[in-house]
Amino acid sequence: MPADAMAARFKAIAWLLAAGVLLHIPSPAAATSQPEQGAQLAAICAACHRLDGKTSSAPSIVGRKPAKLAADMAAFRSGKGENQIMHAVALSLSDDETATLARYLAGLGGEP
Amino acid sequence: MTAITRRRFGALAGATGLTVLSPYVARSQGKPRVVVIGGGVAGATAAKYMAASARGLAVTLIEPKRRYTTCFFSNLYLGGLRSLASLTHAYDALARHGVDVVHQTAAAVDPAHKVVHLGNGAQLAYDRLVVAPGISFDFGAIEGYDAAATQIMPHAWQAGAQTRLLRRQLASMDDGGVFVIVAPPNPFRCPPGPYERACLVAYYFKQFKPRSKILILDAKDHFFEQDLFEDAWRRHYPGMVEWLPGQFVGNVKAVDVKTRAVVTDGDIYKGAVVNVIPPQKAGWLALKAGLADASGWCPVHPLTFESTLQPNIHVLGDAASAGAMPKSAFAANSQAKLCAFAIAAALTGAPPPAPHLFNTCFTILGPDDAVSDAIVFKADADTIKIGDIFISPLDESAEIRRRTMQQADGWYDAFTHDVFG
Repeated sequence: MPADAMAARFKAIAWLLAAGVLLHIPSPAAATSQPEQGAQLAAICAACHRLDGKTSSAPSIVGRKPAKLAADMAAFRSGKGENQIMHAVALSLSDDETATLARYLAGLGGEP
Repeated sequence: MTAITRRRFGALAGATGLTVLSPYVARSQGKPRVVVIGGGVAGATAAKYMAASARGLAVTLIEPKRRYTTCFFSNLYLGGLRSLASLTHAYDALARHGVDVVHQTAAAVDPAHKVVHLGNGAQLAYDRLVVAPGISFDFGAIEGYDAAATQIMPHAWQAGAQTRLLRRQLASMDDGGVFVIVAPPNPFRCPPGPYERACLVAYYFKQFKPRSKILILDAKDHFFEQDLFEDAWRRHYPGMVEWLPGQFVGNVKAVDVKTRAVVTDGDIYKGAVVNVIPPQKAGWLALKAGLADASGWCPVHPLTFESTLQPNIHVLGDAASAGAMPKSAFAANSQAKLCAFAIAAALTGAPPPAPHLFNTCFTILGPDDAVSDAIVFKADADTIKIGDIFISPLDESAEIRRRTMQQADGWYDAFTHDVFG
């Protein structure tokens, strides 16, 4: 996603928050906790996955449906497959953290 | 004080997925100042993440070098499988993320006045300081091994000129020569490194100098992933690599650069090429700034990496004494992110981060044979312990090992993009 588009997206969300549109979020601090937590968790992924849509040996994980990514993480957590690194990461994240991470990565856009 | 203008926050931050919605942008006038000393993995990661994900911070990175060559994967260069250029990275992208990169030496830290003195006489004030100076060598530990001796017996444990020197020596060595590696006591940078080096130099010897031998004189009786290495030496390089444990060798007491000899408690070992990896401690600036304890390493609070000895100064990477975390690039990167978010929280009021800390190392045993480990750490206010640990098993198929090698190459690209890109 271009930087300008990303900035516009965050500005729009910021406006909605400031206007109280997202009423289920009770305070400014809590209002930021979800995207900030998502970014912090995504930083874990960035050590192996590029978050700009490009692939390395590890696949791109941005722009995917949150349910798909959460299902993949559940599979890694259970030990399916041969990827011990993803098994370790999946074990370390709670269900809530995985869901937050999946939503955040989904919002970063997909392959260019 | 010399004013150093912070470059405007770059548009690239959004494209990397690092941008975070923050209500603290309104406080950007008179932004809190964070100075980061050291442009290795830990320092560069911390600077990038603070600049790109917390817009309320003015971040300055102090690093004398224009380009950084990674120590990790430099054994591949010794084995002829990678160029040194492919391991070398510039700081241009950090500047685009909004980091003010100052190519100067950090000469001293004044914690009382929260000022860093630069080599050119300038001063930088900080609200928080991150010190990531890497390692220094305990030259007093081995008689005769000093800075001058490194030009004859290179350590090649800080990548760049030393790595090139060692490669040149190996290339000019006659077939049938003995390559001696002196492996250091714990803790040290890159626990699998000396043994991976033996693998990759053996790979080079096997092709071009097949009568040559590698002798590892170890200060330790055991080492990380020992079974995997010994298995690889037997399978790939039979009869070429000999490892002598500390209980057999005794202390490495001295070296003689003229005869390329290593003197231990009980014997003298001569090599055609000698690679002395000396005992290590925190980088000299950390020692000078009073950040290290009697161990030579820097104690930190596990949840923030703030020094327990100097408030408002955080120590990252190899210099830090971080519980069970190894001194590795991945660990440094993981620590740096936690620290960056913790500093942003402290200075902007943002929520504190959850303490997720990891390590992964890819270890290359041969051109188509690599193993990995993955460790999850559990950090609390007192310590950092190992939670889960997974290491490649001995009985993996050759196909899995080949795929791990491919994964390693891709990981290097993604990881260095995370740090320097």
